[in-house]
Amino acid sequence: MQLKKIIPLAAVAAMTCGAVAYAAGFTLSAPPKIAFLYFADKGDGGWTQAFDEARPKIEKALNMKLPFVENVPEVAGKITPAAESFINRGYNVIIGTAFGYSDTFKTLAEKYPKVAFLNASGTTNGANLESFYGRTYESQYLCGMIAGAMSKTGKLGFVAAHPIGPVNWTINAYELGAQQFNPKATVTVIFTGSWNDPVKERAAAQAMADQGIDVIGQHVDTPTPQIVAQERKIFGTGHHRDLREFAPKATLCSSAWTWDKHLIPTLKKIAAGNWEPSPYGAFPGIKDGGTDIACCGASVPKDVVAKVMAERDAIIKGKQIFTGPMKDTTGKERLAAGVKIDDGGLWKMDWYVPGVIAQK
Amino acid sequence: MNDFFINWLASAPVTAVPYALAALGLILSERSGVLNLTAEGLMLVGALAGAGAVLSLHVHPALALIIAMAAASLVSLLFAGLVVVLRVNQVIAGLAVVFFCQGLTGLIGTVAGWQNKQIDSLPSLNIWPLSEIPVIGRIFFMQDPIVYLTIAIFFGVNYVLFRTMLGLRIRSVGENPAAADAAGVSVSLHRIIAIVAGSCLIGLAGGYISVVSVKLWVTGMTGGRGWIAVALVVFARWAPWPALWGALLFGCIEAVIPRIAAAGIAVPQYLMLMTPYLATIAVMVWVGYRQSAVTREPGALGQPHVREERR
Repeated sequence: MQLKKIIPLAAVAAMTCGAVAYAAGFTLSAPPKIAFLYFADKGDGGWTQAFDEARPKIEKALNMKLPFVENVPEVAGKITPAAESFINRGYNVIIGTAFGYSDTFKTLAEKYPKVAFLNASGTTNGANLESFYGRTYESQYLCGMIAGAMSKTGKLGFVAAHPIGPVNWTINAYELGAQQFNPKATVTVIFTGSWNDPVKERAAAQAMADQGIDVIGQHVDTPTPQIVAQERKIFGTGHHRDLREFAPKATLCSSAWTWDKHLIPTLKKIAAGNWEPSPYGAFPGIKDGGTDIACCGASVPKDVVAKVMAERDAIIKGKQIFTGPMKDTTGKERLAAGVKIDDGGLWKMDWYVPGVIAQK
Repeated sequence: MNDFFINWLASAPVTAVPYALAALGLILSERSGVLNLTAEGLMLVGALAGAGAVLSLHVHPALALIIAMAAASLVSLLFAGLVVVLRVNQVIAGLAVVFFCQGLTGLIGTVAGWQNKQIDSLPSLNIWPLSEIPVIGRIFFMQDPIVYLTIAIFFGVNYVLFRTMLGLRIRSVGENPAAADAAGVSVSLHRIIAIVAGSCLIGLAGGYISVVSVKLWVTGMTGGRGWIAVALVVFARWAPWPALWGALLFGCIEAVIPRIAAAGIAVPQYLMLMTPYLATIAVMVWVGYRQSAVTREPGALGQPHVREERR
């Protein structure tokens, strides 16, 4: 009995050792068993739901079931038991979904070197840990184009959470996109100070509508700005998911996550034993499964859609929208002529392009 | 510029209503001598119950608000049991109820899947032809029904508290429970009545946020508004009408923040976001300064009543 068990194990061990010899990087010691830790409710209408909508596509591509646990808050005391309950049952690929998992995942990755860890919007990386986030400015640039084309007043609004790099780049991209159709378009930004405060988001969107703003973009987690846009009979563009389900008349397009396009190849690499986690994390654009534009509402004219799709193709072919010469609102040169922004410059972006009207 | 002020003042009542109702509910409870810090938690209960009633039971929004009131008063029985029957420290019990409600509402709401689901709500009234009056019409006669109901509730509570026997008894157990007890007024009963009735109003404040004003539910959506209501009670010195003016003041402050940004005036955003709380501190300082002359604080506030106990 004992021997029969040991022999196949030894065979597997020999095979995996062989694989290590051929491929550099991380290798699992058993066939992959993958599990998700969701930060919020799987039907939260935004960030987490985007993962839960990618999950069946991943399941189909890898031909396996991916279990998940919901509402794992950003505290080590909740993350560790949730991850370990999977690891103890033989799961060897754990996918997290929150910035606040970063440190705990680093600790877990060191404690379980044979388990692969992936974490969305995290900041930590290692031999068996890779964080990933999307180049959201690409899809927000395309949404900004549509907003600029559809606005009659040339005044666009943007409801955002905090003035941090990944939010500032979406605001700038929105303005740059709008300028493609209306060089005089402005983007007025209201920061709510929270990812999830529908009371403040509603007040912000209403204040914008009262000021004659007629397209409202967003980088917050609830669909409130879209709902207000529909109530006020103006337009909006969504983020995280296709928000047309909340405001079918108002929402022109959305900047929506396409996580399956990033996770399927990554998980296949992990399974094949040739996964090499990047020391700076994965940072996919439209091409590799970051955010893409969910397009378009019926009210968007065909020629606008055609121009937006042409820009999308250019971005997929490598166009960087943050290319010099580029100045900020104070007139200071931020990118010299012909210079493309690097990833470090994106993450620490604390300036706005001319046309953005924002608080400090 | 005129439009700016009209739009601003027209949006202030919607932000003020939750503060006003929650502060009034707290006043009712504190007038009976029970220091009540539960507003933040009970508003969350009201917000969840109201949203849940519309999303799961598909009831009319007005009925959902009644369910929100009932849910909050049901949970307040826990608080009443702790502080009136068991005579637990009222500060500790109040804080415990808030944390309990934060966890409970988050759990129920996410398990039931009510997060970020759109709620069909009450439309704003349009009191024609008054709404056609320039300036005044937009500000006073185009609000949602609960705004007008809130004013009626203030008249009602003020009447009960100061013009009826029940109100006199509630105030007497808050001023001097031993004397009230000697006069044959049940201290426990009147305190429980005041807590439960006040919690109805706090639940309505929470239900108003989710069902009428935002038309959406997310975890922890009251965002600290219950604590501002607690401060408003001190600001109003335990009197209903000043609480309404205080709530309107806070409503105006909160409503102007996004409007300044939308008008393109560059002000540091974190300074703007802290103004309601700065105003709270300023008001407390002012009240503390004024209180040296005369205090309106209920005499037995925060003291559990034990019959025949020596002090």
